[in-house]
Amino acid sequence: MRVIIFSWEYPPRVVGKLANYVKELTFQLAKSEVETFLVTYHDYLTGEFEEEGVKVYRVTNPVKIHISVLTWVLTLNQEVERAAANIYYKNGEQVDLIDVQDWHFIPAAVTLKKALSIPFVYSVESLEDHRSHGVNLPFNMAIKSIEWLGMYEANIILVKSYWMASEVARIYNVPEAKVKIVNPEAKNWFKCLLKVYRGLKEA
Amino acid sequence: MVGPLRVMMLTWEFPPRIIGGISPHVYYLSKNLAKDGVKVYVVTCDFPGAPDHEVIDGVEVFRIDSYKNPSPDFASWVYLMNMNMQKEAAAINKTLGGVDVFHAHDWLVANAGIGLKHVFRRPLLATIHSTEIGRRNGLHSDYERMIHETEAWLTYEAWRVICCSKYMVSHVKWAFNLPEDKVVMIPNGVDAGEYEKSTVDLSQFRKRFALPEEKIVLYVGRLVYEKGIQVLINAVPKILEKVNAKFVIVGNGYMKEPLWEHVKRMGLAHKVLFTGFVDEETLRNLQKCADVSVVPSLFEPFGIVALEAMAAKSPVVVSDTGGLSEIVEHDVTGVKVYPDNIDSLAWGVTRVLLDEGYANRLRENAYRVVLEKFNWAKISQQTKSVYERVLNEYSRTLWA
Repeated sequence: MRVIIFSWEYPPRVVGKLANYVKELTFQLAKSEVETFLVTYHDYLTGEFEEEGVKVYRVTNPVKIHISVLTWVLTLNQEVERAAANIYYKNGEQVDLIDVQDWHFIPAAVTLKKALSIPFVYSVESLEDHRSHGVNLPFNMAIKSIEWLGMYEANIILVKSYWMASEVARIYNVPEAKVKIVNPEAKNWFKCLLKVYRGLKEA
Repeated sequence: MVGPLRVMMLTWEFPPRIIGGISPHVYYLSKNLAKDGVKVYVVTCDFPGAPDHEVIDGVEVFRIDSYKNPSPDFASWVYLMNMNMQKEAAAINKTLGGVDVFHAHDWLVANAGIGLKHVFRRPLLATIHSTEIGRRNGLHSDYERMIHETEAWLTYEAWRVICCSKYMVSHVKWAFNLPEDKVVMIPNGVDAGEYEKSTVDLSQFRKRFALPEEKIVLYVGRLVYEKGIQVLINAVPKILEKVNAKFVIVGNGYMKEPLWEHVKRMGLAHKVLFTGFVDEETLRNLQKCADVSVVPSLFEPFGIVALEAMAAKSPVVVSDTGGLSEIVEHDVTGVKVYPDNIDSLAWGVTRVLLDEGYANRLRENAYRVVLEKFNWAKISQQTKSVYERVLNEYSRTLWA
């Protein structure tokens, strides 16, 4: 199985708790003989790296000056697409799935799905409604519209708790069957996650 | 290559959505490329009443949902629109079996063009119609710098950059630090045939704007500082000393009110007519009636308005700047005057209005140049040969 993970944070770049979760996830994947690629952002440590069996691609933003995190994310997505397309073309045009962590690289995941037929998992760490405490300025609405796109286009939505599953259903009206719950605190979390991946690969 | 060349044009405006000059440019270019045997797919923003998918003059047009995402400001709207455009264009391109080249027009579709280039591994061409640094005469905020960098990114990712004048070639090379052989000049065009379609009686039409004894001096453009309309208004008294004329000012802009107040204070309200925005047919007829068309710009990447006047067989007086300097040959196809110089402009206008033989000579020469140099058939052939050159270079790369 060949998998690409998209995450806007990955050690040494640690913004919140997502970075370490993704680190653990990719480490476990590589150990389980899943060919694991990770595409992430770094200001200047860019390029291809092999880190504990994980093939890490770090890209930077081609546009340095921005007016918000929204515009920053939107110009970074093409670099993520470039890295993912490079992985795809260098590996016999075959990638089983992309797992996109939170909203940042959803535009890239959606384009790759449309262009190259790579299915994707949208892993929800947090939602804009909770981060912004329900503020509904155009800025927050724009981010929510990207989250909606991810919910709509993803083959599977992966959440970490029953509460988040209900929030996803409440805010984005997602059909229940599309949502899978894997709690990373649980003992057998990785086995469950691998089952989700395998299920998508076989589907 | 087997089969016709296939190109996907990305543009944020295409008729009936008309915001600026890109819309007619892409329309005429695509239509003539189609006539030349190129298969053209245009992906553009939606417009009320226009279908999502249609074929116009041999060009297949796809309109995408461009107001799907709420946006805090114009630039964020552009980037979000690109997210949708890229997604839709990716699906379309997959269904079509893949085009040969992507062609993006201005930074407004930069993200979509760049993304498509990488996921399909096909060459990208960019036409730079204007630059942020030129429009704003410098970069004064993060907003403007972000747009400037997005333009730079597009030129960086593009295989070739097309500009419409020699002036723009050097401007773009300077602004984005591009190598000499990356930038190509292909002029903008005008369809002279459009001026022969109208069946309106011009002598009757003219009466709506001027008295029979008045010559018509026509200005067409936005009423903003860089277009130099204030220079023309200030030249009005000097011109009226020599010749009886009516100044017809077409267009809108933030300077409209102050200019109108100024005209009234000069006691010349009966000599200057502000028409605001007019429909295309009225505009063409006005250009045909004009005894002289004036383009007094201070900054001008190309100067399509001068070309339109020439196609309408109206003599032109233009400031000697930017693209205008290249369109007009002084004393042959028009009169060039010093930019931002009232006396020079007044001299140029009176020169044309007082010597009918001279004016007629300018009209004929200008019209001939329009047909020879600025016709869309020729421009599309030049564009097609750039596509072919790029594809030939591409065929020898690892991506091919």
